[in-house]
Amino acid sequence: ISGLFRNVVGGKVLTKSDLDKPIKGMEEHLLKKNVAREAAVRLCESVEKELIGPFATKPRPYVISIVGVNGVGKSTNLSKLAFFLLQNNFSLLIAACDTFRSGAVEQLRVHARNLKELSEREHLGVVELYERGYGKDAANIAKDAIAYAAQQAFDVVLIDTAGRRHNDTRLMSSLDKFAQFAKPDKILMVGEALVGTDSVAQARAFNQAFGKGRRLDGFIISKCDTVGDMVGSLVSMVHATGIPVVFLGVGQHYGDLRTLNVTWAVQMLMS
Amino acid sequence: MVLQDLGRRINAAVSDLTRAPNLDEKALDGMIREIVSALQDADVNSRLVSHLRKSIKATVNLKDLSPGINKKRLIQKTVFDELVKLVDPHAEPFRPKKGKPNVIMFVGLQGAGKTTTCTKLARHYQTRGFKACLVCADTFRAGAFDQLKQNATKARIPYFGSLTSTDPAAVAAEGVAKFRKERFEIIIVDTSGRHRQEKDLFDEMTQIQRAVRPDQTIMVLDATIGQQAEAQSKAFKETADYGAIIITKTDGHASGGGAISAVAATHTPIVFIGTGEHMLDLERFAPQPFVSKLLGMGDMQGLVEH
Ligand SMILES: Nc1nc2c(ncn2[C@@H]2O[C@H](COP(=O)(O)OP(=O)(O)OP(=O)(O)O)[C@@H](O)[C@H]2O)c(=O)[nH]1
Ligand SMILES: Nc1nc2c(ncn2[C@@H]2O[C@H](COP(=O)(O)OP(=O)(O)OP(=O)(O)O)[C@@H](O)[C@H]2O)c(=O)[nH]1
Ligand SMILES: [Mg+2]
Ligand SMILES: [Mg+2]
Repeated sequence: ISGLFRNVVGGKVLTKSDLDKPIKGMEEHLLKKNVAREAAVRLCESVEKELIGPFATKPRPYVISIVGVNGVGKSTNLSKLAFFLLQNNFSLLIAACDTFRSGAVEQLRVHARNLKELSEREHLGVVELYERGYGKDAANIAKDAIAYAAQQAFDVVLIDTAGRRHNDTRLMSSLDKFAQFAKPDKILMVGEALVGTDSVAQARAFNQAFGKGRRLDGFIISKCDTVGDMVGSLVSMVHATGIPVVFLGVGQHYGDLRTLNVTWAVQMLMS
Repeated sequence: MVLQDLGRRINAAVSDLTRAPNLDEKALDGMIREIVSALQDADVNSRLVSHLRKSIKATVNLKDLSPGINKKRLIQKTVFDELVKLVDPHAEPFRPKKGKPNVIMFVGLQGAGKTTTCTKLARHYQTRGFKACLVCADTFRAGAFDQLKQNATKARIPYFGSLTSTDPAAVAAEGVAKFRKERFEIIIVDTSGRHRQEKDLFDEMTQIQRAVRPDQTIMVLDATIGQQAEAQSKAFKETADYGAIIITKTDGHASGGGAISAVAATHTPIVFIGTGEHMLDLERFAPQPFVSKLLGMGDMQGLVEH
């Protein structure tokens, strides 16, 4: 076995790719010696874990993506969420992955600039925008943004996506690829308080759009300030999916995001 | 499509009844109950639903009908008429005139589709030989002017706006004055989203309106809106006195009953519907063909005429 690891240079911090080949060889070797596959894989994994240096793989940033139908308040509430995380001293990269709607990139550029100024003034976290203009594939940009964030050691990547009708099969199916490329730790759907009975179908369709085994993690219910006590869409969306509401949008400014409990919300988002 | 499910369900309820061997009171009640729940599921305002139920009951009074009358036809026609009433306020929409400036101002709730639709409408008039342009009076929303600018550029429509001003009334006044002087015929003013709960935003809308003196104000409503439609559309009506409604996002799955309830609440006609995110996704709206199509009743026009 020692022969397998001969090419691995001593003293260097090892990465997963350095070890791929020798570990594979070790696995084959063990199988040949009649070690059961399950046990062989386990052994190899623990060897690999031991060998990879603690700083060898850059920690992946925490990835949150925001989805929903057209005009519900995705980009605005993403910016409010950014403000909330900045107040909790996280460093953020905002990824402009709505490459379709006119002005979508500029909208986030303005928010990123405002939030940066605000953060500097109030000594909050760090924020930057990652943009690649219009027309390109959102899933690819998301992937690149995450790689960039890992390299620059950002804590969190917030991904904005284009609005889409939940009955548009082409646009909905692209969410599957998006989830595979971006592997978001949390997918939050923005639903608005103004919407009527369509809320049920919206929530169900988005909950099922991310491929096998991947569901939404929470809702942001926006525009609660516009409906008085008619908050029925909130009930409908939770009822339709069993997914919890994480935030309520109650206005158009950065501070207009409510949560029942800050510690709970931070844990919910970051765990 | 808007109200598609509703149309299908109402249609089924009516044909079930008219096919029933005994066209009695009980069967009629069953049909009405099904129509009522279909309307509720479509977000139609609850008060309108109960009004519609009473109207059908009163018109189709089985006991007092003379034996010669075709009950099936009567029931179909009554349901049709009641639905048409729901979307037809009998008010004539504004028609722009060539050779003079027609200022059209857009108002509506946040994210309803105003900015997208104002380019669609400008393009609609442009292809009909009007000299059309756009003014961005949304100085609030991030990226609002860029959005309008990019859409206008794509459609080759002249535009005006400011990246630095924070006074929408001033920007609107300046833009409209400039385009009036340049003899534009359709001058469309886009404004930011607002809602009745914020008095400052409503005051701002009045200020813009005073500054540009529109010939026509249009309320843009999202087809997915629920029971808030009535209160919001009434409040906008009282403050901005709009003369027409455009319903957007009718390509979605939403029933559109909320948005349509605004017609009855404000006696204002729907003039166009938005059917997608692209420039050409705008269709004219007319109540009777709309309901005929909705109910799949090609022969309804014939019934309506007598
Ligand atoms: N009153 C109110 N307005 C809101 C709230 N959240 C967002 N908005 C407004 O809703 C409008 C649409 O917001 P956006 O963030 O652009 O919506 P979006 O979902 O990103 O839209 P698309 O990207 O075009 O699909 C803007 O005018 C926002 O200011 C809220 O909680 N309350
Ligand atoms: N599917 C569909 N989407 C539409 C339609 N009309 C507008 N949209 C989308 O709805 C979203 C909001 O449209 P906007 O035009 O920005 O809405 P707005 O009323 O100007 O929003 P504010 O200025 O923030 O109040 C965008 O993503 C549009 O592409 C439509 O008819 N169908
Ligand atoms: Mg957006
Ligand atoms: Mg707008």
